[in-house]
Amino acid sequence: MLGPYEYAVWLLCTLLESAVLVCAFKRGALRRYLLLNVYMAASVLVSLARYNILNHYGFTSKEYLYFYYYSDSLLTIFLYFALASLYSHIFSDLNAERYIRLGTVILLSGTALFSYAVVQQFSSKLVTHFVVELSQNLYFVGLVLTYILWAAVLKMRETRTRLIQLVLSMGVYFSLFAANFALQNLYQSRGSFFEILTPLFGCFLPLSWAYTFWNVSEEARTMPSRLAVVPR
Amino acid sequence: MSRKLTVVLFAMLVLVGAMSLKTVVVTHSDGSLIMANGGAPQPPTPWPPAPGK
Repeated sequence: MLGPYEYAVWLLCTLLESAVLVCAFKRGALRRYLLLNVYMAASVLVSLARYNILNHYGFTSKEYLYFYYYSDSLLTIFLYFALASLYSHIFSDLNAERYIRLGTVILLSGTALFSYAVVQQFSSKLVTHFVVELSQNLYFVGLVLTYILWAAVLKMRETRTRLIQLVLSMGVYFSLFAANFALQNLYQSRGSFFEILTPLFGCFLPLSWAYTFWNVSEEARTMPSRLAVVPR
Repeated sequence: MSRKLTVVLFAMLVLVGAMSLKTVVVTHSDGSLIMANGGAPQPPTPWPPAPGK
């Protein structure tokens, strides 16, 4: 049974996701970061649809269960493409758009093939197993890709503050879920505590993106610190 | 051609790294799943847990 906490966090999350779209629109970043905004728009729509199904059929219904996992897989794919678009922004000077697109498709296909190889042993609910496995695997692929992107940001001495914040917030978001999940499995006796945190972490990404779009202009630059040469 | 092969190699390395990381994270898993999209309450998994879990 769902309590007021679950509903409140869910509502907060959906409002923050809508706020990202509003902030991006107001600051003229809707088209520039199109795939990020498409992901947020899809999140809002999925949230509304989930609420509708939950209201009609109930939390323990098969309708809610299947819609939840299938829509989650879809959202993870959107998030994956949003991350790929950040790669395009970071490597825009290198004219590597074509190779990023190629890499994105190969990695997605590879993950799908790997997921299928894992779940093909299941005779029943093969499609559902595949959808959930793909979502899980894409999540970890996204996590690794974000760390690599952050390394690239540091290596290339990227100075665009907005872009840096978007990449960083994605890294923190992925890491929060991975750490929470690992701790939840490590300390199973305190599992309920970590379960409470999970939906709250879901609010982090829309909060940080809304903040970034609203407060950090496209022209803002961050100078990476350099080591000072001190004469002896 | 070599650039395309580099992209393929990079993609495969990322996939291997990601699956290794997943193995480490879910080593002690009770069959629960990571759901990292939005704040909607997560229903139980669509299949019963494996025996002994």
